[in-house]
Amino acid sequence: MLFKKRRTGQSATPNRMMLRRTLFLMIVCGIVAFIALGARLFQLQVLDHEMYETAAVEQQLRQTTVTAKRGTIYDRNMNILAMSASVSNIYLSPAEIVMYDEDPAAIASGLAEILGLDYADVFEKTTHTNSWYMTIARKVEDDVTDRVRQFKQDGYTDADGKHHIYNGIKIEEASKRYYPYSSLACHVIGFVGSDDHGLAGLEYYYDDLLSGVDGRIVRATNANGTDMLFTDFEDYYDAEDGKSIVTTIDETVQRYLESRLAEASEDYMLRDGAAGIVMDVDTAAILGMASVGNFDLNDYMALSPETLESIEKESVGMTVEEHDALVEQERSEMWRNKALTETYEPGSVFKIITLAAGLESGAVNMDSTFFCGGSIDVLGRTDPLNCAVLSGHGELNLTEAAMHSCNVAFVTIGLRIGAERFYDYVRAFGLFEKTGVDLTGEAGSIWWDEDTFFDKNNLSQLAAAAFGQTFTITPLQLITAVSAVANGGYLMKPYLVKEVLNADGTVASQTEPTVIRQVISEETSRKCCQILEQVVGDRNGTGVNAYVAGYRVCGKTGTSEDVTWEVAHGTKKYIASFLGFAPADDPKVAVLVILKDPDPACGYGVSGGTMAAPTVGAILADVLPYLGVEPEYGEGEEAIVDQRVPKLVGKTPSEAQAAAEALGFSARVLGEGAAVTAQLPAANSKVAAGSEVILYCDYQPSEELVEVPNLLGAHYDDARIVAGWDNLYVRGEGTMMDSDNILIVSQSIEPGTMVEPGTVITVRMNDATKVGVF
Amino acid sequence: MASNTANAVSYGSSRLADYTEDVTGERGPVDLPFALLSLLLLTIGVLMVLSASFARAYYDPSNTTGGNATYYFVRQALFALCGVGVMFACSRFPMSFYRSISGVVMMVSIALLALVLVPGIGEKVNGARRWINLKFTTFQPSEIAKIGVIMYFALLICNAKEKMRSFKYGIMPFVTVLGIICVLLYVEPHMSAIIIILAIGMVMLFLGGLPLYWFIGGGTAAAALLGIGYAIFPYVRDRFSAWLDPFSDLSGDGYQIVQSLYAIGSGGLLGKGLGASLQKYLYLPEEHNDFIFSVYCEELGFIGAMLLLALFALLIIRGYWLSMHVRDRYSALVGAGITTHLAMQVILNVAVCTNSIPCTGISLPLFSYGGTALLLQMAELGIILSLSRDIPEKR
Repeated sequence: MLFKKRRTGQSATPNRMMLRRTLFLMIVCGIVAFIALGARLFQLQVLDHEMYETAAVEQQLRQTTVTAKRGTIYDRNMNILAMSASVSNIYLSPAEIVMYDEDPAAIASGLAEILGLDYADVFEKTTHTNSWYMTIARKVEDDVTDRVRQFKQDGYTDADGKHHIYNGIKIEEASKRYYPYSSLACHVIGFVGSDDHGLAGLEYYYDDLLSGVDGRIVRATNANGTDMLFTDFEDYYDAEDGKSIVTTIDETVQRYLESRLAEASEDYMLRDGAAGIVMDVDTAAILGMASVGNFDLNDYMALSPETLESIEKESVGMTVEEHDALVEQERSEMWRNKALTETYEPGSVFKIITLAAGLESGAVNMDSTFFCGGSIDVLGRTDPLNCAVLSGHGELNLTEAAMHSCNVAFVTIGLRIGAERFYDYVRAFGLFEKTGVDLTGEAGSIWWDEDTFFDKNNLSQLAAAAFGQTFTITPLQLITAVSAVANGGYLMKPYLVKEVLNADGTVASQTEPTVIRQVISEETSRKCCQILEQVVGDRNGTGVNAYVAGYRVCGKTGTSEDVTWEVAHGTKKYIASFLGFAPADDPKVAVLVILKDPDPACGYGVSGGTMAAPTVGAILADVLPYLGVEPEYGEGEEAIVDQRVPKLVGKTPSEAQAAAEALGFSARVLGEGAAVTAQLPAANSKVAAGSEVILYCDYQPSEELVEVPNLLGAHYDDARIVAGWDNLYVRGEGTMMDSDNILIVSQSIEPGTMVEPGTVITVRMNDATKVGVF
Repeated sequence: MASNTANAVSYGSSRLADYTEDVTGERGPVDLPFALLSLLLLTIGVLMVLSASFARAYYDPSNTTGGNATYYFVRQALFALCGVGVMFACSRFPMSFYRSISGVVMMVSIALLALVLVPGIGEKVNGARRWINLKFTTFQPSEIAKIGVIMYFALLICNAKEKMRSFKYGIMPFVTVLGIICVLLYVEPHMSAIIIILAIGMVMLFLGGLPLYWFIGGGTAAAALLGIGYAIFPYVRDRFSAWLDPFSDLSGDGYQIVQSLYAIGSGGLLGKGLGASLQKYLYLPEEHNDFIFSVYCEELGFIGAMLLLALFALLIIRGYWLSMHVRDRYSALVGAGITTHLAMQVILNVAVCTNSIPCTGISLPLFSYGGTALLLQMAELGIILSLSRDIPEKR
């Protein structure tokens, strides 16, 4: 039809070419171009839609964060170790100050006054008029925040008498971390940075759990940043509060551990700190873990005054950078969890593992005997290996070998086991790999490689390893391995968190004790306990100072040299350690204490037996009753155990006398009265059994002060008698065992001090002869 | 030039008074599909101005609207009403009338293009003197020049008849006219208008029967010019780099392209709903003007965009169809020219919004805010309606 209309020869009508070209344009401009544009739109709107949508939303939405509450850290009895309290961050929005025509000077002076800040500083922040966020104060407590909020609401009245609030002042919820026990278990708990995220310890390891998920308020805004017109687009994403964790740490146990370590640190003048772990033997749950010295988690950057002083001295003539580096170094030293992140040569404590391997492998049995002539020749060594007692222990059975920590005997056991089998046991006890405890920074052990260790022509590595030298492991690895020896042979995976709680307090997950493998039989385990009990329980044992009356304590001393230090500095540095567990018949708890670089000037012999053993003994004496392990006194033990004096006032003299004597006290009655009117010592005092109780019956007690006698070096019984002469009393601590070598090594009140009659002097008993590298 | 114009005027055999009979007298009816499509697009366009402009009018960053959210809409709606009147008025005049005033329109266009350059008459906006302020409204002489070129070239082509193949009649007068206009526009400066007017001129010559090899030569020359422009003018290079990678310069040339892509892309298949664009909240510049299509795409999605493009395509196809069915050569040339102008503006505008070509300021007919431009578009559509009345009814 199009071309039917064609007429020829008439110039006024469109010719054929023109129609053809018009048709061409119609196809190009009316169809082809639109198809192309449609394809392009399909690409933009359908294929790439999400990409553009995301980008557009990003610029259109302004987010306000709602901080999730960080979870709480509890000890195993739900005492709070770390908690977050809500605080606020105060910030200004200078852009909005301008937008709403608010008076920056009034805002600055108001805020400066409430927050105790400098006016000029605050005012300066209002001048950043392009900014929407200028922080004025962080982590402001609620009462102060309330005043800021009031100030914002009070606002100002404009020229027309209309009231306005200050839109430029913003309050943002935040949270602040509190550590109620300040320094307790500081190395385990760790701390959070200013962004409320964990930087160390459990706070770091469990940061994801504890943090929760921050909530958001999303608003659509125009390009100027104010709300979009007619578009109430607002979206809330609720904050998901962090989960709480219940740790295996026991606040009380931790406190005992830390205070005993602090005591040891002072008594033995430790120059390189100390570390200690208390572990549940059956589950490998860590009840306490400490590292000397502590720091306050609420102020984790602060160095101790002593450290600051030493930095002061050391940094004379240093550049600022060097000084800062030194401060940094001291800080990381302070934050270091020595029980986890440092390896050391365990020394003789490791003989527990050698013993267990020897018995389990059949290399030795309970009837095995050894002869120690003071040294032993080892293939591959030019000089013989010496025993701690150079004169030799003579003929020993297996128990005696352990009691005396005889190197010769244990080298013999090691050689009988053989390098390959020994290596296998070490591996089985988990000493080649990290324990996998739920804490960051665990160090790995260092051992001879197989080729060197298995060398048939050089047994010196095996020999040294048998008594705990020439390799390093972490304290945690050692106590975990020994717990396996103690608990029937089961190597457990140590852990610090036993439960994770949801924000509403319901249990989210529980940690079941994990058996990694059974390393030795229950039979072997029992034999080991039996032998190790003698190390402490026998008055000839090297570990006698860890003895706790009423408890069957097993243990092993260790005295090793800090090899890395010696290589680096050429001087000797000793590490005195002890690992004890109790009770022997069914071990519940193990304690490892490592005392680093004691100063011989402290007056105690540098040895695991004299330094670490009493510390462990003291910790066990605290912890075992606390954990509900009832003391069982053996024959002869009762006589030496201190007794609590009952209340005798008000009784008749004869009644009172009978009551005192029933508890093993003797009694002296003064005066003629019908009833006891006063007594010495006071009711509920704990004093040595056999002490003489004085009963006053209408008789005026002497109020004259008496002088404290010097009891140092005396036997306990003698001390009781000497003190009694002046109406003073003693009570004992430490190795309360009847032995000629166990003497008073310290007393709680200095000799010569004038005190009231009836005062109880606490004396520390110790076998000071247990000195030596064993 | 002057002789050509004189020739054109003398060629028109009648005077204005002679057409009153035609205006009032019986001709065929206007083409209903074309008229309805035009009105439908106009209605959608005016509504889109409301949706696209109210945020900017409310926030009033340029301080012209007084915070009245409907400021732009009301003005555009009033012009649209006038435009409808103008369209039907134009459809009443016979094509011979337009033929007779072609030369005058051309002369007036050139005069206005010269006038706008005079400081005091032409208003300088953003460094370019493109606008003449008539107090109640402003207008761009370049808009009139586009119609002028269409009408005048159609006239010249009709006069040249078979001589279109010769250089003297086929090339010389056209190149002269285009040259003058382009120089004037270059002085303003107004690049997008140059592009459109050159393109319109080319299309007219193409329809007029100029041998194709001229276009091959012309195309080569245009490419060369573009290359030279690219080499000489840094802002041309900037435009190209912004086109190739708009995300590389978000604060500069890339900004409006990226904002437009965000708007179109975030619309998705079905769009956010009429009035629900978020990009119009001051993110997208020129949102009720050159980038109104982007807002439309964001609100009505791919489906809506396809419908709109289909409506435009139908209008354009109908325009060509009418041009091919009119028996008068002048009418056919003017019809195809106007339709091509319409098509070019739509295609180039959408291409710019979708970053298919380098960014240049081209408005979307019947949509973009602007009173006099709208009136002129309606007049152009009216001319097509007028020629549609000359098409004999189907047997």
